[in-house]
Amino acid sequence: MDGEGQRATVAWETGTLAPVDRLRTERADSPTPGLVEGTEPGAGGKSAMFVHAQSFEDLTAEAEEEALRGAELDKSEEDCTEELKALEEQHNNDFSSDGRAKEEDVSSEAWRSHRKHVFVLSEAGKPIYTRYGTEEALSSTMGVMMALVSFVEAEKNIIRSIHADGCKVVFLTKSPLVLVGVSRTCQSDRELLRELQYIYYQIVSLLTLTQLNHIFQHKQNYDLRRLLAGSEYLTDNLLRRLDRDPGLLLSAVTCLPLASSARDVVSSSLQAAKAKSLVFSILLAGDRLVTLVRKKDQVLHHMDLHLVFNLVGSSSSFREGEGWTPICLPKFNTAGFFHAHISYLEPASELCLILVSTDREDFFNMSDCKRRFLERLSKRSAYQTLKDALKCPSYSVAQVGIPELRHFLYKSKSSGLYTSPEFPVVYESDEEQERLMGLYQDLHSCLHHPTRPLRSFYRCSETENLLAWVTSGFELYLCFSPLATKALAVSAVNKLLKWIRKEEDRLFILSPLTY
Amino acid sequence: MASGMQEKQYTPSLLSFFIYNPTFGPREGEEEKKILFYHPSDVEKNEKIRNVGLCEAIVQFTRTFCPTKPAKSLHTQKNRQFFFEPEDNFWIVMVVRNPMIEKPNKDGKPPTVEYQEEEILDTVYGAVVKQCYSMYKLFNGTFGRAVEAGGVEMLIQKLEKFFYRYLQTLHLQSCDLLDVFGGISFFPLDKMTYLKIQSFVNRVEESLSLIKYTAFLYNDQLIWSGLEQDDMRILYKYLTTSLFPRHSEPELAGRDSPLRPEVAGNLLHYGRFLTGPTNLKDPEAKFRFPKIFVSAEDGYEELHLIVYKAMSAAACFMINASVELTREFCEQLDGLVGPQLTLLASDICEQFTINRRISGPEKEPQFKFIYFNHMNLAEKSTIHMRKTASVCLTSVHPDLMKILGDINCDFSRVDEDEEIIVKAMTDYWVVGKKSDQRELYVILNQKNANLIEVNEEVKRLCATFTTLRTVNTAGYHDSISVMQ
Repeated sequence: MDGEGQRATVAWETGTLAPVDRLRTERADSPTPGLVEGTEPGAGGKSAMFVHAQSFEDLTAEAEEEALRGAELDKSEEDCTEELKALEEQHNNDFSSDGRAKEEDVSSEAWRSHRKHVFVLSEAGKPIYTRYGTEEALSSTMGVMMALVSFVEAEKNIIRSIHADGCKVVFLTKSPLVLVGVSRTCQSDRELLRELQYIYYQIVSLLTLTQLNHIFQHKQNYDLRRLLAGSEYLTDNLLRRLDRDPGLLLSAVTCLPLASSARDVVSSSLQAAKAKSLVFSILLAGDRLVTLVRKKDQVLHHMDLHLVFNLVGSSSSFREGEGWTPICLPKFNTAGFFHAHISYLEPASELCLILVSTDREDFFNMSDCKRRFLERLSKRSAYQTLKDALKCPSYSVAQVGIPELRHFLYKSKSSGLYTSPEFPVVYESDEEQERLMGLYQDLHSCLHHPTRPLRSFYRCSETENLLAWVTSGFELYLCFSPLATKALAVSAVNKLLKWIRKEEDRLFILSPLTY
Repeated sequence: MASGMQEKQYTPSLLSFFIYNPTFGPREGEEEKKILFYHPSDVEKNEKIRNVGLCEAIVQFTRTFCPTKPAKSLHTQKNRQFFFEPEDNFWIVMVVRNPMIEKPNKDGKPPTVEYQEEEILDTVYGAVVKQCYSMYKLFNGTFGRAVEAGGVEMLIQKLEKFFYRYLQTLHLQSCDLLDVFGGISFFPLDKMTYLKIQSFVNRVEESLSLIKYTAFLYNDQLIWSGLEQDDMRILYKYLTTSLFPRHSEPELAGRDSPLRPEVAGNLLHYGRFLTGPTNLKDPEAKFRFPKIFVSAEDGYEELHLIVYKAMSAAACFMINASVELTREFCEQLDGLVGPQLTLLASDICEQFTINRRISGPEKEPQFKFIYFNHMNLAEKSTIHMRKTASVCLTSVHPDLMKILGDINCDFSRVDEDEEIIVKAMTDYWVVGKKSDQRELYVILNQKNANLIEVNEEVKRLCATFTTLRTVNTAGYHDSISVMQ
């Protein structure tokens, strides 16, 4: 494929796509494998937005407070119980209990044949969460799970997974929690573990790890469901996303296609509406990012961002007015809460603004930020452009103009952003979409094998032909009809990269801003 | 860094191997009765019971989700355990330690051990466990048969006797895709020579009517077999990895070497028994042959296994075990088969050299491949050097072999034709093709090639392959039709 890359370079240099933009001069000319990270199509102009974050200093105050509370808790068991009661009350107020239809016979074939089960339990073997059925009915099963974990642990070893034909069980021990996934899919252990990690962080984001540790240090036998009651729908929803959303697979997010001039205005309006304790301002359109402005030197991990997306997308209550909710961004800091101001720009709009602050008393400040942002935005024509863009939040693969190409995923590694067309008619049904996602997951897993990673992967089967390619700058996954030839696939890569380069202004955020 | 501070690499190794039947000690306090065999035997009793207990728990737990398909393996940080239930309630478990790297620490602290958890392929070691059972069954029949014949004690004795020696021959570090296939390498042959061999088999079977089945091999490769495929597959494994290598040393030694067995008097032929008596003229000679069990219409049948070899040609004759084999019979067989087999061996050798000359001198190929046909179990590898009893050398990097294994896993998941082409980080291309019950894996060392060029190269290889394949399949299909 290197040869193909070379050819692409030539095509690029002959000037068919002569760069004009100010950024372009510094950017590499071609998307070849040799290209330096940060110059691939879709790479942000400045430093990356989503990379692993360091702990955030401003939060130490809160962490200390947390520690203080811990010290108090140490005093007596009674205090602890009271503390927990208070917490429980607070949480029960936070989450309106949506009754879940979970009544299922856990010994039935229907229950067993679910594609993917997820269980969360405490180290004492107490059930915390099950995706299907009720925790009560599964308490003995979860007890066995915990017994297996501890038995292997007693040998100074760690249990990882159990494999049977067409079924596997994966264990993830994240003290004080144990997560177990049971899957009938072809997903690799690594993919399943990644999903369990997400679930773990989802729970941490509600409680912080510090609090979680506290609870179980003081009461090993504690029933965590008392704290999480009413929040199960978040986990349910996250699991659905994991099956469907390529962003969680690619560790990336996708943007609302928008002219860069309009996006820049939105960004700068958001940048201007700052406040002392404001760390991140995020504007979402459904599941798509419009823009993200962050405090200088602070970066948001894609996993945290997906947890925020999940929180916003799972609940309709934010539509009713301005929401104010504590949220822990675990990849940022597992010890403390941020406070998020969540509201929609207009009642029926898809546009949702999330303002993340470090100060729990900051609600009115944040509300004011939103007002200022809206004021600025309404004055410009950009708002109308943005609203128009909402009408076509995605594009069809036909626009790329490559025959037999059905679908693709392209991720720019340095910006942590990806782009992908809407699913074509062949993958319209939920089952087919999940099947295609499964195929992508498979490719992803092979390419990113921990000890034998691959540069490229081509698979030709009766239902589709797939090509995946990883370079230091990007990851690309293409899905062709089974009629496509290898020659076509190879030339499609070049065509597609050219197309993305041409459209990158619209599809990616090239100039992210800080306050 | 001082020279004594180097990292140490450890390959996967056998931690334990045990066989149990939970129905033999169902009550508490009787757990030890479940255990029929345990290696290493010096493990403390309670630990044995604990480890068997874990396996039982894993199997039981998996049934919660998968009542019909039993657990096959357990992955842990330090090792992998493979479970196999070959007969109702009889479980074989093999525990393999993950490969690891030992990194020395300063200041006399104990070294840090890093386990490489992604190195062992389930399919490979799962196949090894199954092979262990098949080999036991070949020489002893089923577990159930031993219990019927002499109770649990007899089974325990048989297991002890067989596995004590067999486990020493397991070389887990060199197991790979070929163990998954468990195929048979066929000797490519022209039609004329093939017919000669067939008529030789017919003649021998006619003159010595005691012979029930015959198999014919040349150069450790199969030419003719009257056995069922699955029986032949395991017998072939035994012959090529155990029996033949044990006898190849004296053969290679010079004529006057003390290693060379005394050739019995006449030098009219080179034939000799690889099983049974080493010297027919020896008045003390014993006429005992190993017994094997093969499938028959009503379960299984027990047979004497006579392996007779002249130069590179080997013939296996199988005779009903109820017949007692005498000196007279062996002399008769030696007199009849010896000269003919010697002649046949030199014929095949001659033909083979001519054919090779016609096909031209072998160019150093740009690729290496493994081929396997599920229908006739035919296997061919240019990746593996000659197999010996102890090691199976490959000529490619172990990581590439594992990529082949990964692709094979992929193929086994769906029952349709597929093709996979990958480029490894080392820039090697690896191609896997599955179509019509056949699997082909190619490793190409053309780092600058692109997908299209790689595809062309594999197409060319496939074209040369069809001719070779017809000869092989014809061989086995003929032999099957003769048998029926």
